[in-house]
Formats: sequence, C-alpha cells, structure tokens
Amino acid sequence: MTSDDLTRLTITDASRLLRLGSISSADLVTAHVERIERLDKHVNAFLRFTPELWEKQAEEADRRIRQGDAPALAGIPLAIKDVLCVRGVETTAGSQILRGFKPPYTGTAVARLFEAGAVMLGVTNCDEFAMGSSTENSGYFPTRNPWDLERVPGGSSGGSAAAVASGEAIIALGTDTGGSIRQPAALCGVVGMKPTYGRVSRYGLIAFASSLDQIGPFARSVDDVAIVLSLMSGLDPLDATSSDRPGMEVLNNFGAGVKGMRLGVPREYYDVKGIEPGVKAAIDAALFILRQAGAEIVDVSLPHTDYGLAAYYIIAPAECSSNLARFDGVRYGLSEVDAPNITEEYQRTRRKGFGTEVRRRVMLGTYALSSGYYDAYYLKAQKVRTLIKRDFDQAFQKCDAIVSATSPTVAFPIGAKTQDPLSMYLCDVLTLGGNLAGLPGISVPCGTSDGLPVGLQVLGPQWGENVVLRVARAYEQASEMKAEVAAPSPLRGEG
Amino acid sequence: MLARIGLEPGDEEFYADQLSGILSHIDRLQQLDTEDIPPTAQVVEVASRLRDDEPRPCLSQEDALANAPASVNGFFRVPAIQEEA
Repeated sequence: MTSDDLTRLTITDASRLLRLGSISSADLVTAHVERIERLDKHVNAFLRFTPELWEKQAEEADRRIRQGDAPALAGIPLAIKDVLCVRGVETTAGSQILRGFKPPYTGTAVARLFEAGAVMLGVTNCDEFAMGSSTENSGYFPTRNPWDLERVPGGSSGGSAAAVASGEAIIALGTDTGGSIRQPAALCGVVGMKPTYGRVSRYGLIAFASSLDQIGPFARSVDDVAIVLSLMSGLDPLDATSSDRPGMEVLNNFGAGVKGMRLGVPREYYDVKGIEPGVKAAIDAALFILRQAGAEIVDVSLPHTDYGLAAYYIIAPAECSSNLARFDGVRYGLSEVDAPNITEEYQRTRRKGFGTEVRRRVMLGTYALSSGYYDAYYLKAQKVRTLIKRDFDQAFQKCDAIVSATSPTVAFPIGAKTQDPLSMYLCDVLTLGGNLAGLPGISVPCGTSDGLPVGLQVLGPQWGENVVLRVARAYEQASEMKAEVAAPSPLRGEG
Repeated sequence: MLARIGLEPGDEEFYADQLSGILSHIDRLQQLDTEDIPPTAQVVEVASRLRDDEPRPCLSQEDALANAPASVNGFFRVPAIQEEA
C-alpha cells in the first residue's frame, strides 16, 4: 500500500488496518502530512498545523492499539475548523481580530473526539466568523476547490471540506449556521452533516448566531459521518442548549434502507430560482435511484421558502452583532492599545480587525435590533421563522424525510460573487431553512455537472438524524456514488 | 456608532449602497400577515436545566490573562474611562 493509498481510506478501512497491525497511526499521519506538503500550497485548506499534537496523539493511539483497548477513532487524522477552541492552539475564527489567540480550554465536541482517539492535523480555513459561502471572506487567504483550483470550495467551512476532499484528512469538523457544512460538502464532493439544534454541545465554539449554530462532521462516507456524529453528541452541562438525548440514538436503524419510506420533494426547492440544469438533472437521477431502492417520492410544499433568506438575514446578523461585541481589544486578540480613550480603542481595534462582510453584518444586525426598528425587523423575522418551522412540521406529516439539491449551483469561480453580497447569500437558499427550523440535514455526493460535484440534501424532523443518515446511506449504497479523493488539476499526474 | 466599528470617510457610501440592496430584499417580510403568529426565539423545546450549585474548577487568573493585550497586577488594562477632574 502506497502512502497515497492511506489518504483515501475511510474510518472503517483505516481502523481495520490499524487493528490488524498492517499500519500504525504514525504511518497514517505521515501519509497525510506528506500529501498536505504536496497539495496544500495549491488548495490552501489549512491555516496552521499542530505537529506537537499529532505526534503525541498518534503515539498514544499506537499504544492503545497495541494494548488492544483502542477507542473508536484511534489514530484517525482530523482537521478542525478555525472556530473551535483547542487549548494552546491558535484559534482565530478566520479573523485578524483574533490573531494570536490561544484558547485556555478545549471545546466539548473536540475534546470528545480527542478522547475517542482522533489525531489533530491542524486548523482549517473558513470565512471570517463563519460568515460567507465561499471561504473568500477569510481574513487570511481564500481556499481553493480541489476539483478545480480556480473555483471556490464553498463556505463557510470551506477549508474542512477541501481538506477531506483532497485526501489531506480523513475527517473534519465544521459548523453550520445557514448551510456552512452542507454547501461546501456539496461543492467539494464529500459528505457533511448539520445535526439538530442542541444535538452537539457548542461549548468552546466561537459564536456567530447562537439560535442557529451547530457543529458537525465532514467525511468521505455516510458511515464515517455517522460514527463521528454519534461520538460528539449528547448532554454537556457546559452548554445549556445541549440535549440530554443519548448520542448513540443517531445510529438507530440507520442501515435499514429506504424501502417503504416516503421522501418529500418540496416543489419550492425543486424549482428554486437559479438552479442549474446540470444540478437538477443530477437530483432527478438521485430521485430515480431512491425510487428504485424502494422509496416512495411524494410532493410536498414549503410555502414560505421565498421569505427564508430575508428572515435569516435579520436573525443571523442581529445575533452576530451581539456576539461580536466582545471583540473589543481588551481581553484577547488584536488591540490598538495606544488609543487616547477607550471608545477610540474599541473603534480602532474593530476597524483594523474585522473584514468587510463582518462589518456589513454587524451594521445590519445593529440596525435590526435598534429601538424603533426592532418590531419591524427582528420581531417580524422571528414570527416568519415560526411560519417556516410550521411549513416543515406540515411537510413531515406527509413524508419521513425531505430531499433536494444542497446548492442550486456547482462550485463557482473565485471572485464571481464577491461584489454582490445578495448573490452570495442566495447560495444558502436551500440550506438555511433547516437552520431556522432546527432540523438535521446532510449533503451526500450525487454525481457531477460539468465535471464538478453536486450534492443531494436530506433533511429530517428534529432529532431524526437516524432517518437522515438512513436515507443518505441507502442512496450512497444504491448509487455506488462514493466521495472521491480529488486531485487538483496542476497535480493530476501526481495524484 | 452603536456598533463601534470605526467607519471612515468613503465607507458610508460603500456600505449604504450594499445594505440598501439587502434591506430591499428583506422588505418582502412586510407582505406577510404575522399579527397572530408567535415569534420563535428558541427552535427546539428544551426544558431549562439547572446544574448543581457546587464549586468546580475554573480558569486560573494566569490562564484568563494569558491572551490579554495588556494587563497589570492581575487585571486587564484599559485606557482611563473617566477624565481627570
């Protein structure tokens, strides 16, 4: 087995080889580090690397494997989005304002994967404070799509998606506030899942919009996503919104297939404005495969779809303007300490530290929350949120899960949408409803259009991760559509 | 001013133009009659949970100040808030 073969494995395959003693965790890490050294100067998935951690964690994994008490993820290389705190590892939310910040603690989701034996390779790039759909809003540099380096990987968790897609990591963590896991998973041809709001503790996550944010996994198979999700889930006393449902329930019956299941196709999603013909054709083919596998495809309606984006772009900026008030140059990160007074210190720090999109959203949110506008904007948006949630409740009376495209388009060229914020926001039109309604959702690869990956989205009712995983897994099996490891074009010969 | 993001000359027109485009999209919300619709602030029904009121370890002063741009005698340092009389 060559070093590059080791970067194409799933958790299941790698674990078997590790337990058989055919490879060591150190071998697995070395293979990934070599691939990163070759590829990441083109892809730019990682912001920084954590060699002290990977050495220590791989050694520990190898010791546990030799002892015969290896935990579920022993030795599995993991990449972590730059919004999840890891003790002593620089974590910046893709922003200059947090440059140099080394968290004094590790967040719960990450800590649980470390306990399960995962080996951290590094920190992945993202849009600043997870605000964006292309990773071009990073305060450092844009990440490129490993399928075509002139295109975006999606976002905001674009670095994590690109790392898994290019074989630079077996699994990665991202966060999803409006589609930030599912959309880059779709654009990079990997599997990505956003859990039900409250499934995974957010302790140690740098907050963007607290009523919407969730942490979730990326991987190259549905099984791998299911394993990682089950290990991070469950009650955490340090996050009051975390649910006491057992994490392992996400796996209930998830291998049972779709025979007899009713899958709803919302007509507002199927014919969404701006959907590319190639994407639609891939979704039609996926629906055909699901029907062949025994599912019944039913029409459903989500009548308030047209209002989702508007409600989202009140609620998310309002919450972000409040969450980002803490970046004042006093306790951590960038600081313009030479200012003559404290107001000037705040202003100069935030002027220097925040990028354009963050400033735009802070302004929008501050406006929506300001007295005199609160009822017209924030309260109105929360009421529309109720209508959107009711749409989903009614749809789930008629079906077990909802299927659609994840993104109306395939990966677009770098720079194509940066001048027009609204066109960028429309990238999330099929995903943000799931956040507003708190639903679990997954994106799985479902073929290509013009040589670029298309993602199939499956949404389930709240706490229905097992239903979502069941549909996704059945599709993956029936279609034989495995996430491929992409070789960036200038490197295609090198694989 | 409220957001303290330090706008400079030229910024206002740049953002005003983009924000008015976004706000005109958002205005479609006004088409919906939401008179009798309750707002959703918390999307998942989770009962309030209280943890036991027991002391537990927390960040040391050293850890809490480790990222501070400026600190003095175990405190965060900021410019004077009140002007001298």
